[in-house]
Amino acid sequence: MGYEISLLTAMLISIIGSLSLNLITGFCGQVSLGHVAFVGIGAYTASLLTKATTPFFAALVAGMLLAGIFGVFVGLASLRVRHDFLAITTMGVNFVFLGVVRQQDWLGGELGVSSIPDPGLGKLGFLALVFGCVVLVVLLSMQIRRSWMGYVFEAISGDEDTARMLGLDVSRYKLIAFALGTSLAGLAGGLYAHHVRFIYPDSFAFVESITILAMVVVGGNGSIWGVMLASALLSLLPQWFQFIDDYKLLLYGGLLFAVMRFSPGGLAGFAQRWFPQSQKSFTLEVDK
Amino acid sequence: MSLLDIRAISVRFGGVHALEQVTMNLNPGEILGLIGPNGAGKTTMLRVITGVVKANHGEVQLEGELLNTLPIHVRVRKGLGCAQQLVRPFREMTLAENVALAAGAKHTQYPWQSLFRVERMEALRESRNWLAKVGIEDAADSYPEAVPLGYLKRMEVARALAIRPRMLLLDEPLAGLNQAEATTFADILFELNRQGQAILLIEHNLAEVRRICSRLVVLDNGRKIAEGSPETVLKQSSVQEAYIGQGNLNAEN
Amino acid sequence: MLYLELFIQGLLQGSIYALIAVGLTLVYGLLRILHVAHAGLYTLGGYFGVLVFNSTGSLALGGVVAMLGVGVIGVIIYRLCYEPILNQPPYVPLIASIGLFIAMEELYRILFGSYGVTYTNPPLQKMMPLGGLYLRQGEWVTMLASIVLIGGLAWLSRRTRLGLAWRATVTDPQMAESFGIDPIRVRYLNFFIGSILAGAAGMIVGILNNLVEPTMGSVPSYKALAIIVLGGLGSVRGTLVAALALGVVESFGTIYLGAVLNRDAIAFVFLILVLMVRPQGMFRGV
Repeated sequence: MGYEISLLTAMLISIIGSLSLNLITGFCGQVSLGHVAFVGIGAYTASLLTKATTPFFAALVAGMLLAGIFGVFVGLASLRVRHDFLAITTMGVNFVFLGVVRQQDWLGGELGVSSIPDPGLGKLGFLALVFGCVVLVVLLSMQIRRSWMGYVFEAISGDEDTARMLGLDVSRYKLIAFALGTSLAGLAGGLYAHHVRFIYPDSFAFVESITILAMVVVGGNGSIWGVMLASALLSLLPQWFQFIDDYKLLLYGGLLFAVMRFSPGGLAGFAQRWFPQSQKSFTLEVDK
Repeated sequence: MSLLDIRAISVRFGGVHALEQVTMNLNPGEILGLIGPNGAGKTTMLRVITGVVKANHGEVQLEGELLNTLPIHVRVRKGLGCAQQLVRPFREMTLAENVALAAGAKHTQYPWQSLFRVERMEALRESRNWLAKVGIEDAADSYPEAVPLGYLKRMEVARALAIRPRMLLLDEPLAGLNQAEATTFADILFELNRQGQAILLIEHNLAEVRRICSRLVVLDNGRKIAEGSPETVLKQSSVQEAYIGQGNLNAEN
Repeated sequence: MLYLELFIQGLLQGSIYALIAVGLTLVYGLLRILHVAHAGLYTLGGYFGVLVFNSTGSLALGGVVAMLGVGVIGVIIYRLCYEPILNQPPYVPLIASIGLFIAMEELYRILFGSYGVTYTNPPLQKMMPLGGLYLRQGEWVTMLASIVLIGGLAWLSRRTRLGLAWRATVTDPQMAESFGIDPIRVRYLNFFIGSILAGAAGMIVGILNNLVEPTMGSVPSYKALAIIVLGGLGSVRGTLVAALALGVVESFGTIYLGAVLNRDAIAFVFLILVLMVRPQGMFRGV
């Protein structure tokens, strides 16, 4: 039973991670190739604090705050650069994070942070906490999507110059997307650190940013359920089939490529083609 | 007092003088035609007004308020509604949804507040009214890729109207339309103006310009070379020279 | 003398970066695609070179296969992977390319082993002092090869009809088409040449390190991206300058900043700093 609980917890944590990126990339259209750096900031912050005897929940919140603050900085950078430049800058953020963390002894250097204290909730309790967080994140995502904020995000994602011409404060909205997305990533990081109790720089390597992005993209940019489904599949599959684990990267790479090449709308886009009534429609949503 | 006051605007791109000391204004309730041959600086002027381009010199005032330092979205909220030359609809939204976003401007003014506003029916209703005003309500639920260019051009105007602007800035709304479409659309613009909407119209189609504009300003090579009623201006030799020099014989109409 | 040595090493590393990055900027300039999989072609060049040399003993043949073979595969990748998705929003080819690159690296690992392949009889390893500088033959060849290849590209671009067609297409595709230039041909050529450069770089690095391993493209992949952005997306000249500059900056940076920052992160710190000051890169693109 313990193994399954652990697996489920890990899957739910990765769902939080991908839903957080979904706010930035899926809803608001800002491509971020370095998202795992914010997960890492949350993880390191929370774990160093709990090791210094800070209470668990306070440490989690601190991790979120710090990740969000850095996220706003990156968001500010996003205001100056566009599209492809942004993608590469965010990639750079990931590498700078790794580069700094690897060299600092007080952050554990190459060896990372070990013996992270147990939050004291027990395995099931912790699972319940993570599940609760997933529910909150999903509710927040849904609220954003049905609100005017989500409407503006969509416009920015489509054509930010035109959005500006309609009187929308594009910069402010983008910063909000980054702040929300990165602080939730920090939450995922803090939870992750206290789940596995041992983190090191490679946990937050660039390939993990790609993995999270894969979950968003395969899910279908913006679709909450699609992203959740893709996250569940991509995180569980390697565990279920050992032989897939050896080829895990090949699977990710191939899947990313295949989805973009043959169905850029992801799972959600695929579903829309076969089940047209599931098409996201403003008028349908509003006609409750 | 004029609605829009443009004083001594100069814009330089590298070594090119796109605009040189141009002064003009837009009065309440008028349709002002801004005309001139290709490359005269008309679109640049529009961009200076909206804020996409920063002028090297000069001022733009909206009813006495200086716009120069304000970012684009703030200027728009102060009353500028703009329809650009190259149509840019949001491709993932229907025409109605495109316009509704603009109609809901009050919901989106304060970003954090927008998170708590969910009511869209009203904005959608309004957007259908605007689409009807420009005559394309039959395509309200279509996506941009499914409608012809003429419809998209009118949607741009509807979208600009939906924010209830003090003035409409239109950049070649008749371009790419055939004769009949252009006349219909020009009639719609005339009717909007008759109902009180001030319009700054950049346009190449001089036949329609002569018909619907109350006043003209002519630019050539970045300078203002003429101003006045359509009849007087279009008769001036300097204006005709400017166009013919470009090989544009249609100016003779 | 330490400074001079650091500088020369920096230039050497920079010229390898240049060979990779120029191909990348060629693709971007023409199609606005960030062709991440380009680094996978670099690795493939390394494999072709070492495998051909190990079975035939001929370095020249290895070079030909590395360059032409990779060139052709580059064109195939364009045809099968990118051409069908050119109309999609930019993140689609970008992510497809990333996926392709990851899959390529894994394929290399599965086919050729995780530990890599070495030269059975490593060529060009002897020291060859020239003009006061102590460099191995391979390092001299690197410099020579970079100059010849990139110089050749410059000549092709400025002095031949082919180059003219390419430049016209990049500047204004529609106008070029009305002159009778076939855009498809130009794209094939673009990928062909860019991939040749990458293949050459891969083989050179394989010789210098006497090792070709599946992940050797990872670090160059993102560094090349940083370089082309630094140089101003689409500007070949800018890319060259940025590549050489980065090589030198890294060379000195590892000595002086090593305590704070990992070598590989230096590229990105450099990039982020430059972009904050000049969001369009050092040089304006095409």
